[in-house]
Amino acid sequence: MGGISVGGGGGGRRSLDSEINMIPFIDLLMVTISFLLITAVWSHMARINADAQVPGPPREVEPVNIEPEKQLHVEMRTPDKFVLIWKQAGTVISTVDVSRKDNLIVKDGKKSIRYPELAQKIEAEWKTVGAHRDGTDKKFDQAVLHTDNETAYVYLIGVIDAIYQAHRPFNVGGKSEQVPAFNVTFAVN
Amino acid sequence: MTIHEPGRRLMRGVPLKFVRKRVAGGSSRPVAAALSLTSMIDFLIVTVVFLLMTFSASGETPINKNVRLPQAEHTLDMIDAPMVAITGSAILVDGSTAGNTRAIEDSKRLQRIDELFNILKSKREVWKQLHPGKDFPGVVVLQIDQEVTAVVVKSVFQTSAFAGYPNVSFMVNQLPKAR
Repeated sequence: MGGISVGGGGGGRRSLDSEINMIPFIDLLMVTISFLLITAVWSHMARINADAQVPGPPREVEPVNIEPEKQLHVEMRTPDKFVLIWKQAGTVISTVDVSRKDNLIVKDGKKSIRYPELAQKIEAEWKTVGAHRDGTDKKFDQAVLHTDNETAYVYLIGVIDAIYQAHRPFNVGGKSEQVPAFNVTFAVN
Repeated sequence: MTIHEPGRRLMRGVPLKFVRKRVAGGSSRPVAAALSLTSMIDFLIVTVVFLLMTFSASGETPINKNVRLPQAEHTLDMIDAPMVAITGSAILVDGSTAGNTRAIEDSKRLQRIDELFNILKSKREVWKQLHPGKDFPGVVVLQIDQEVTAVVVKSVFQTSAFAGYPNVSFMVNQLPKAR
């Protein structure tokens, strides 16, 4: 049993040694554990972020001479390859072809597809061409996904997942976190 | 109520103490064993701390039963935001219909979904009335069935952006990290 020792005492009538009653303490712990176990959420839901690149409200003084950002365009229009194109203000800087193999995995009706070659190539491309790599940089490199209208959603998620393999440090509230290096959006056409 | 040391139960009918002791095999080893509470309380406290750290006050995220989500590895934690469910036949916001998936697929062109646009816009206005002076986060979470085609995904994405939700999140099942 837990107890509190307060020394030898001075021969008073009441003993200075007192024991804490542990039973209500254990009861409280048991009730807390029961409550937390019953209300626990054991789900594996997560999200993948995308940015729609909507222009903000007009500024009073428009900044001049802003150099256009480089953007990585990922094309998945053909079944045998991906095309990675770095563009700056409509000018093509470089083009890389990556072979495409659709290894669709179906487990309990849930589909998943991984493109490890594409992910590695995008990560390597970002390390050489990417502009926003410092933890203090609030902006992110932009990736634009081009796809035809008939492609199933599971393939889109596979490509977005591959784009998000590249990570960079990002300082938030004095702490440095690893976050995806790209913001992904969809090409309209 | 306190815990009492357990006494003997057997041989209680034998009246003489020395006889009872001999018959019962009165060994020097005590019958009552003290239970060490320290390790048990340690275990309980560790369990409580773990459960408190993993506790989610927002509860479980409701998922439409007709939506089979794909799986992804590089994901973020879920956030509290309006949910749009897109099944093979309908677009739903909080269970009410906000568009027809088949009609978009048949048209084969990117389009603004007016019903969805109006619902999201009204939700945004309600949020602004409830939180005056705060910046609207503009986040919407899409629960999209894995078989839905890209034209529907892009149409919903564009409609959400037009309605004031440029930060679009796609809900997925979390895959374990490969590295």
